[in-house]
Amino acid sequence: MAATTEEDEQERPGDPAPGDPAPAPVAPRRGRGRIATAVSVFGELLITAGVILGLFVAYSLWWTNVIADREAKKQGNRVRDHWEAKGPTAFNTKDGIGFLHVPTMSGGEILVTKGTNAKTLNHGVAGYYTKPIKSALPQDKKGNFTLAAHRDGHGAKFHRIDKIDEGDPIVFESRDKWYVYKVFKTLPETSKYNVRVLDPVPKESGAKRAGRYITLTTCTPVFTSNYRYVVWGKLERVEKVDNDRTPPPELD
Amino acid sequence: MYGWIWRHLPGNAWVKALLSLVLALAVVYVLFQYVFPWAEPLLPFNDVTVDGQ
Repeated sequence: MAATTEEDEQERPGDPAPGDPAPAPVAPRRGRGRIATAVSVFGELLITAGVILGLFVAYSLWWTNVIADREAKKQGNRVRDHWEAKGPTAFNTKDGIGFLHVPTMSGGEILVTKGTNAKTLNHGVAGYYTKPIKSALPQDKKGNFTLAAHRDGHGAKFHRIDKIDEGDPIVFESRDKWYVYKVFKTLPETSKYNVRVLDPVPKESGAKRAGRYITLTTCTPVFTSNYRYVVWGKLERVEKVDNDRTPPPELD
Repeated sequence: MYGWIWRHLPGNAWVKALLSLVLALAVVYVLFQYVFPWAEPLLPFNDVTVDGQ
């Protein structure tokens, strides 16, 4: 481009004599140049769009995890500090209420906080449902402790939910109790409108009587939100937390 | 477009390259910090809850 411009300038007659009308612009060349420019800008825009989409994938699957894990760690430490302080506030629902341990799904602990809106879950935690069906809490005499967490990005805490089999333990750790649940049913695919899975007695799991259940929900298949994946467990026993917070044998 | 930016950056090729890098990083920062967090909820990739709506 730059070269042709210079050539054109050389081809042009010398300085116009005073009084002469300015030479007409070299219309045909400029016209072709404009098309060429348009095509090249269009091509560059396409490349840019591709790069931005690639960056978005990196953002979704990597960067949100970095941010969420950092935030979850911070909040988790705050909860543990609260517990150690042994203050009078036994159960502060504004902070997390405890930690979920699912050995077959993830090695780490998952902080559980109130609510399942995007902002909460983006902190890399599992949230317990407040709507459309209010979750029971583990210490309640009966009910369904219903949780949701991200499958991909934002901590991806339930990413490997498909690794959970019937019979696997799910342990919820509160300040002074270990609640040991046992998975009795998984539902690999259901509609996102299927709120009945959150019922206090989730009939679809085969449960018939009121009891103390736990329900994990997330999206499936991975990287999309077309369906929901559901795992149900039933409380097996409750252990008291000892001074060393020795985990129950299921977590060894 | 990028040619235009390159021609309008000051300095020699090294300075231009450095400035280009800074500009690219600034764009990535703005994307990660503002644009993607805004766009993400509008896309149907991350709904994990069951609800009636």
